[in-house]
Amino acid sequence: MSFLLRRLGFYLLAFWASITLNFLLPRLMPGDPVTRMLSRSQQRLEPQQVEALRTLMGVDGGPIIPEYFGYLSRVLTGDFGMSISRFPTPVSEVIASQLPWTLLLGLTSLIFAVILGNLLGILAAWRRGGFLDSVAPPLLVFIGSFPYFWLAMGALYIFGINMGVAPMRHAFSVGLVPGFNLEFILDVAAHLVLPALTIVLVSLGGWMLGMRNTMIATNSEDYILMAEAKGLRPHRIMLNYAARNAMLPSVTSMGMSIGFIVGGALLTEVVFAYPGVGYQLLGAVQGLDYPLMQGMFLTITAAVLIANFLVDLVYVRLDPRVRKG
Amino acid sequence: MIIKYLRRAHLAVAATAVAGTLALSGCVASNPGGTEGGDGSANAAFLTIPREDMGTFSKNFNPFSPNAAPMTGQSIYESMLVYNPAGGDTVPWLATEWSAGKDGKSLAFNLRPGVRFSDGTPLTSKDVKLSVELQKELLGGYDYLKSIKTLDDSTIEFHFKQAFTPALYELGQQVIVPAHIWSKFDKPGNEENPKPVGTGPYTEVANFQAQSFELGKNPYYWQPEKQNIGGIRMLAFAGNDGANLAAISGDVDWTQTYMPDIQSTYVDKDPEHRHFWFPTTGAEINWQLNTTKKEFSDVRVRKALSMAVDREQVVKVGMSDYAKPADCTGLSGNYDKWRDTAVVEQCDWTTRDVEGAKKLLDEAGFKENAQGQRTTAAGKPFTFDISVGSTSSDWLSVANIIAQNLQDVGIKATVDSPDWAAVTASYETGEFDTGIVWTANAPTPYQYYLNLMGSQNVKPVGKQTFDNYHRFSDKKADELLNKFVAAGDEGEQKQIVNDLQARYSELAPVVPLFAGPEWGAYTTENFVGWPTEDNPYATLSNRAPTTVLVLTSLEPAN
Repeated sequence: MSFLLRRLGFYLLAFWASITLNFLLPRLMPGDPVTRMLSRSQQRLEPQQVEALRTLMGVDGGPIIPEYFGYLSRVLTGDFGMSISRFPTPVSEVIASQLPWTLLLGLTSLIFAVILGNLLGILAAWRRGGFLDSVAPPLLVFIGSFPYFWLAMGALYIFGINMGVAPMRHAFSVGLVPGFNLEFILDVAAHLVLPALTIVLVSLGGWMLGMRNTMIATNSEDYILMAEAKGLRPHRIMLNYAARNAMLPSVTSMGMSIGFIVGGALLTEVVFAYPGVGYQLLGAVQGLDYPLMQGMFLTITAAVLIANFLVDLVYVRLDPRVRKG
Repeated sequence: MIIKYLRRAHLAVAATAVAGTLALSGCVASNPGGTEGGDGSANAAFLTIPREDMGTFSKNFNPFSPNAAPMTGQSIYESMLVYNPAGGDTVPWLATEWSAGKDGKSLAFNLRPGVRFSDGTPLTSKDVKLSVELQKELLGGYDYLKSIKTLDDSTIEFHFKQAFTPALYELGQQVIVPAHIWSKFDKPGNEENPKPVGTGPYTEVANFQAQSFELGKNPYYWQPEKQNIGGIRMLAFAGNDGANLAAISGDVDWTQTYMPDIQSTYVDKDPEHRHFWFPTTGAEINWQLNTTKKEFSDVRVRKALSMAVDREQVVKVGMSDYAKPADCTGLSGNYDKWRDTAVVEQCDWTTRDVEGAKKLLDEAGFKENAQGQRTTAAGKPFTFDISVGSTSSDWLSVANIIAQNLQDVGIKATVDSPDWAAVTASYETGEFDTGIVWTANAPTPYQYYLNLMGSQNVKPVGKQTFDNYHRFSDKKADELLNKFVAAGDEGEQKQIVNDLQARYSELAPVVPLFAGPEWGAYTTENFVGWPTEDNPYATLSNRAPTTVLVLTSLEPAN
């Protein structure tokens, strides 16, 4: 229990530090949102019009200390204000409309990549030097080292354009009304295949290699030898003795990855026109949209911290040593 | 499992296609454009348009918002008149006629009878008054306005502080919102206006998603005989690639995304239906020289640099031959009818002339040294940067060509290409050497010459300005510009613009490069009646005031 409380205290501190950085960093960037918006659309405006826009969007600026405390209280009440690059849509609405798709795509591909990668890693390490162990890691690392953009474009070209078996864009067929029915769910799933597959392909190698390497180390432990000497079935030794212990680093990196999913998959969104927060985040940074940036970074921070906390909880379950530490 | 999904998806696509074919053969004309819209059978009736610059859409139909959803100012809200840069004509729209006061200090519009908003309320002069007031309050501008009088329900009169003729197009193209709704908003600037009520042809928002939305017919439109398409469907794309892919695979009807080599990538896939038209009515693109720097304050240097540029090569290589080289009036295709042939005939500094450039540089004191390099009077090499935003790949190659051209006259120029935001920031404060820049595009050349030669927006280096980045002004041009805004009839305006052109040609305030093209491509597979070179009733832009002209001209094919 005291372990969990200590962790919780640490998370609160980390949260405060990150929201403060979140406040400071955008304000250190040169320029201001209105001129950025103009340069993006390459419009010319009268000086009075620029002033009017600044007032309208509330980017006049003020003393930084009161602004900081105002920001803190707004963060705690969940009010992020209005997005500037999407003015006057509230930040929470911008994020809420895109986050579900980001989460769907991110979680699906992460779960597939983790399960497949770890299974392959376990098998490869168990039959060290076997066929799987000598073919899969180099192949997957080779695929993983392709530029993602290129791989995604290639997959889209082959499956979408040439063979016509996969949808080419968006999260579901245009014109379909979202609803909880079989037609819609299947359509969403079909649209998810290519984007998720490409992400799984490039990340699979990392998961597999990580698992394989820790598993090899675990396999040479004395207790594995002991288990074999006791005559336990190899299957049981592999999963319950070796894999369970080798999995700890994998769980940690999975926690990190869950957190970062919230940041969106920018390149996937660009290639497959998948609606998500990645492109929006890029736009927010380029457009110096402080409120939206703050809202998104905060969501990412919160997601990373929560995911890590959950991993801590799982650790307690997986690794008895932590409970005493 | 994946394969199973794929197979099902394939079946679903086939089913939709069958349904679509059935719809095509039967009920297209009667389909109201899908307020239901979910069964796939309505697909054929929608005019589908991609937006490559919006990864996702937000439900914001506030015409006073700089980030309103696409089509807000095109198909939902309309203006009193529409200026068509492709044909150079002005189309009366919500107003039937207008007249300026004798002294040029007032302007009256007569509204079209029988126009109703999409909730059935009639359009009155009060709506116009409120719209102009809201625009002024929220977004600024209209500083010349003294008062607005609504004489009766269909007549509105604007009074100005001083004569200002360009007001016709500014006021005339103001989108009109209904006063009975907008006067009730506490903070109209912060209103998202999710259920817009406007006078336009397609106002009914349906099936709004982050990736797409649809606009259905306005039930009270004033020209019901022109609502021949079932509705509009907008698609969101995070970048050119996705949008171009959709266009190439025939999933959209109308696109204006930049496509390299459009003939072979797009048109040749279906030459019978697919077409493109790039009239050079876009803004003039200039190479501006910071005239606060000593070397660029000399007109001989500016002209010499201009003569060093090979505009043919710039247009051909840099702009994929989509643009037209500029002449010494600096007027783009949009302003063709204002061009004075007497000035054009004497153009001598906008065609490539390396010898002439060298001579002018010699005269200005930038002599060649032993290594063939031009040096300043102080004996230092004459070098400078050419700024351009890194994302504009076409302009970047333009800048590189200019840098190459300059080597022929012994000048070393370096292309500096950070992010656009950084480039614009340096333009605004005047802390740049030279740079590629866009210009104003308005119905008359007034704004264009004001921005390039007028003293109104010239600020000292270090102070922000949003116009006249190169900080050049001329007393005589100021006088002409003031005369122009007071000039009542077009003949007089034309004479003044002739003088302005001559002045521009004499002073070379910037180096004009080329007139930018207005992109646009379409397919006649589903809809016909597009503007073309032979029938330039609008440009092919789907985000301009003329867009509504296209929307009300299209008809289903067959």
